[in-house]
Amino acid sequence: MEEKQLAIVRHSKMDPSLDPIRAQIIALLPRLRRFAIALTGSIADGDDLVQDTVERALKGVHLWEKGTRLDSWMFRIARNRFIDGRRSAKREGTVIAEAPEELGSASLDGEQALMAHLTLKDLLFALHRLPVEQREAVALVLIEGASYRDASDMLDIPIGTLTSRIARARESLTTALGE
Amino acid sequence: MELDRDKLDRFVDGELPPGEMERIAAVLTDSPEQNAYVVRQESLRNRLREGFHALDGSIPERLIQAARTAPASWRWRLRAAQKPNRLFRWLAPACATLLLGFVAGVSLVPQGDLVTSTSGQVIAQGALDKALDGQLASEASAGPVRIGISFRNKAGQVCRTFNNGNNAGLACHNAGVWVVAMLVRQVPEDAGAAYRMAGSEMPDAVRRAVTASIRGEPFDATMEAQAARDRWPQIRTSGH
Repeated sequence: MEEKQLAIVRHSKMDPSLDPIRAQIIALLPRLRRFAIALTGSIADGDDLVQDTVERALKGVHLWEKGTRLDSWMFRIARNRFIDGRRSAKREGTVIAEAPEELGSASLDGEQALMAHLTLKDLLFALHRLPVEQREAVALVLIEGASYRDASDMLDIPIGTLTSRIARARESLTTALGE
Repeated sequence: MELDRDKLDRFVDGELPPGEMERIAAVLTDSPEQNAYVVRQESLRNRLREGFHALDGSIPERLIQAARTAPASWRWRLRAAQKPNRLFRWLAPACATLLLGFVAGVSLVPQGDLVTSTSGQVIAQGALDKALDGQLASEASAGPVRIGISFRNKAGQVCRTFNNGNNAGLACHNAGVWVVAMLVRQVPEDAGAAYRMAGSEMPDAVRRAVTASIRGEPFDATMEAQAARDRWPQIRTSGH
């Protein structure tokens, strides 16, 4: 586990009065956030999606089966909320951005942060040109490092479907990012 | 060795058995075109990973606050409130006996400070009646009784769970009195130490009674305070 994530886990464990389920959710925030930002194409929308996911998960936490993976369950909620949001936006005739928005309020601290910011902007732009099905597969396998088995479970698709989506996404991304 | 794109992708993603990973790595040293593909894909993976992991240092406080404070499912809270312990498991048969006695006949219920029996009903009295009538769950209790959750049952009555350390139960407001629907007696964990349940703890039998009788969701603090101001009114329900 990386240092930053360890810090969040420590932060969530510092408060002994915190319900263990809430501590686990806090520890999951970095992963959920990367997934949500990759899906939505913007930090602000990704953060909104994470907040919605957390609220939704807590509201229905009795539906989570103890002993099963909380991370998989929450990723599924995030994905379903994102897809539902897109469907309802389409029904209501809301214009869905075709390109990622500005990255919003990411704090810039020095040249390294600026470079990271620009890198992320390029990545989001390239990701946003992929169909959602490919985007979520990339987010789980290439960004999160999930195994094919875990990713196919989370997305509820066969492994063969997952690998062909990743293969098509790889072609598009290597072209778009000049790899 | 035949190396198609699918196999190379699996190699990059670490999805092959260790032996096969090694064999492919050996083949790649003699295959510049396929090696270049692998290098490109590894570079893509690293770029995506590093780009997104750069976000980790700036988790917004609002997300942490949502995880800390967003309302959790009341069913979950009920489950969490029932903290099983060795004592309760050991006591379960005894509690069941007590409850059976309660249902079978009021005369079996010990009369005491908490309840009295009138016209075949067990009615809260004294400190229990006072707490049920005027104490909010959110208030720090100066008295011996702690109030748990309040809700409306299927008959439209307001019901509240309570706990005084020695007894826990459920009472519903009916015709101006609190009718105790369930009372579970707790006994000390050992002869020398008085066992007091934590305020949030709820015996399994009480939790099941709540789940079986609740209509909708438990009151939040505002609804509870309003019901107290209105003197715990019963509402009409279809079928009652």
